[in-house]
Amino acid sequence: MTGIKFSSFKPHWLILALVLGGALILGLVLAWPERADASQPSSGSLAPGSAPQLTNADCLLCHSKPGFNVPLADGEKLPLTIDPTQYGASVHGSKNMSCTTCHVDITEFPHPKRTAESLREYAVQMRDTCKTCHNEQYQLTMDSVHQKAFESGNQQAPTCADCHNPHTQGRITDAKTGQILPAARLNIPQVCARCHNAIYNEYKESVHGAALIDANNTDVPTCIDCHGVHRIPNPTTPAFRINSPQICSKCHTDKALMSKYGISTDVLRTYVADFHGTTATLFQKLSPDQPTNTPVCFDCHGVHNITRVDDPVNGLQLKQNLLATCQKCHPNAGTNFPTAWMGHYIADPKRTPLVYYVQLFYKILIPLVLGGMVLFVASDVYRRLKDRRKGGSQA
Amino acid sequence: MNETQKTYTRFEIGRRIEHILLIASFTTLALTGLPQKFSTVGVSDFIIRVFGGITNIRVVHHTAAVVFMLEAVYHLVVIGYKLFVLQLRPSMLPGTKDVRDAIQAFAYNLGLTKQPPRMGRYTFQEKLEYWALVWGLVVMAFTGFMLWNPIATTSVLPGVVIPAAKAAHGWEAVLAVLALLIWHTYNVHIKHFNQSIWTGKLTRKEMEEEHPLELEEIEKASQIDQRENALAEKRRKIYFPLAAVISFAFLFGIYKFVTLEVTAITTVPPAERAPVIQVQTPTPLPTEEPTPTSSAPATGANLTWTDVIGPLFQQKCGACHGQAGGLNLTDYAAALKGSTKGPVIIPGNVDGSPLVALQAAGGHPGQLSAEELNLVKNWILAGAPQ
Repeated sequence: MTGIKFSSFKPHWLILALVLGGALILGLVLAWPERADASQPSSGSLAPGSAPQLTNADCLLCHSKPGFNVPLADGEKLPLTIDPTQYGASVHGSKNMSCTTCHVDITEFPHPKRTAESLREYAVQMRDTCKTCHNEQYQLTMDSVHQKAFESGNQQAPTCADCHNPHTQGRITDAKTGQILPAARLNIPQVCARCHNAIYNEYKESVHGAALIDANNTDVPTCIDCHGVHRIPNPTTPAFRINSPQICSKCHTDKALMSKYGISTDVLRTYVADFHGTTATLFQKLSPDQPTNTPVCFDCHGVHNITRVDDPVNGLQLKQNLLATCQKCHPNAGTNFPTAWMGHYIADPKRTPLVYYVQLFYKILIPLVLGGMVLFVASDVYRRLKDRRKGGSQA
Repeated sequence: MNETQKTYTRFEIGRRIEHILLIASFTTLALTGLPQKFSTVGVSDFIIRVFGGITNIRVVHHTAAVVFMLEAVYHLVVIGYKLFVLQLRPSMLPGTKDVRDAIQAFAYNLGLTKQPPRMGRYTFQEKLEYWALVWGLVVMAFTGFMLWNPIATTSVLPGVVIPAAKAAHGWEAVLAVLALLIWHTYNVHIKHFNQSIWTGKLTRKEMEEEHPLELEEIEKASQIDQRENALAEKRRKIYFPLAAVISFAFLFGIYKFVTLEVTAITTVPPAERAPVIQVQTPTPLPTEEPTPTSSAPATGANLTWTDVIGPLFQQKCGACHGQAGGLNLTDYAAALKGSTKGPVIIPGNVDGSPLVALQAAGGHPGQLSAEELNLVKNWILAGAPQ
């Protein structure tokens, strides 16, 4: 038996216990009001060990200070300031989402030690955060060219937050219709431009980009109308190239949309009917992954720098511009060569009389010849059947 | 031998081989050409796939076209030999009799005349088919050349001839194939199955029905003129070198037809030349750009709380250690008072000040630079003046 015997209890132990107990009680009494002050009306507790229910107000105590940042191992500064007004106006803030919904590792103060040594590493660590709520979009990005770049080791490949700043992102789609809001459409090229600035500079000068950026016209395509959202395919593959006329024709065969601008909707039909389009269509149907040099829309009209055909400087209606375009693939082409292309027009007696009259000639010749043949064959069949019946009855 | 079973040679072996070459090239041309003209029709996909894709089917089409043209050159040389050396009557030439024969045949079929036309070596049906083929060959060769060599063509002719040639090439093909299907199939396969192009022979009965005039001629021309043979030998000597030159010219023409120009580049034209990735500067960060931070204060300022340390703490520490926390570093009195755990700044005692120890260890969220920490140390050493 090793139990403590009362007889062996020494008085100085008792004194020490009383002093410690008293100090603890005193400490709690003194500390309590001060802590109540610190936690503000929202009353989340910052004390370690208590329930980890941090409210936004708790976070903003520190994180609303302007210029608040923390240096990272590589010398970059991780900005930590959140503007409460800006956040409140964002789609997340407007739904009163709490900081800890995304920053799940932050449950107490001081925060757990950061492991990221650079801003990029921090962004990469946060990559999968959005999946919790936006799984559909996240899964789409898994097939994208950006994801492939990331998987091949490119840390700079964009994550969700690179395009959608989670602290400031406003609503993109109309809550009822699901359509992209006009303001969001206008902003799209600015987002892509952050990394694709050279292409943005071409786009903003193009007929489409100028209309969007200078005239706020949301009828024109932005980046995503051709490249898709989230599941953005690699645009340099043969398959993307050969399928691209379908992208252009989405709008350019839309009669309602094109009539607003007086643009022909025959462009796809006339392209497919011509040598280039026929070949491209067959490649698309039979071997989309095989590289082909057959021109698609953008080979003649430009990729991001698409101009009006009647542009006074760069328009394809100008003979020398068209010749230069032909010569990209037909380096030996002479000055007559471009008119071999009927310019998306159907043969008519004024513009291309030779083609028109050749077609007319065959339109007349074919029925005439074949009709005559059928008529004669029919008469011969008639005669032979009559002869056979006569012969049969005589026999 | 029974008179009616007697056979007459209609086609020598050379003509029969020509026919086989024609079947092979014509069928191949139609089979590889029409799917290109009607490329949107479902069956075209299938045929093009069978031929190994659009690039391959064009190679096959071009090859068949060359065979067709070679056959035409050979035919021309043979005809020349027959007409010039053998001095045979040009029995394939159409004449007014053929028009009359056609009208009479039609009238006979309708029962308007009692007698069918009596025709010679080639009936009007055969002449129609032959000359249709010649017409087709000429049209297809010329338009085919233009389509094969558009750059060379437009160096002399206006560009519009290319789409015109394409229209003619396609519709002529439709006409040729349909005419063949109607006319040739009926006259040679359905009316009665004429095998002379394979066997080379016709029976007397067939001769009587289809070529009565030729039969008469054959029977009249019993004795061959020996003198004629001697003359033929002389003409042969003239014709052979002539034919060699002509065929060489044609073969050269076909060679040029095939190799005249390289129409297009063989590489894929470059799409976007602008660099794909060009990051904007400054790169916007996932969160808002922090307001620019000024580090060490301008030299020469008094090392006091008001001038240096206060603003420095406000900027670097104030975010957490402000009015609300356990330690307030934004106010002189509060800063010297320290945290709930006790003072953090002990004036005059640098090593004893917990703030210095913590900052010297590094890794604090509001980490001071070495330069800034030195300022703080000097300030403490100086007694932490206000």
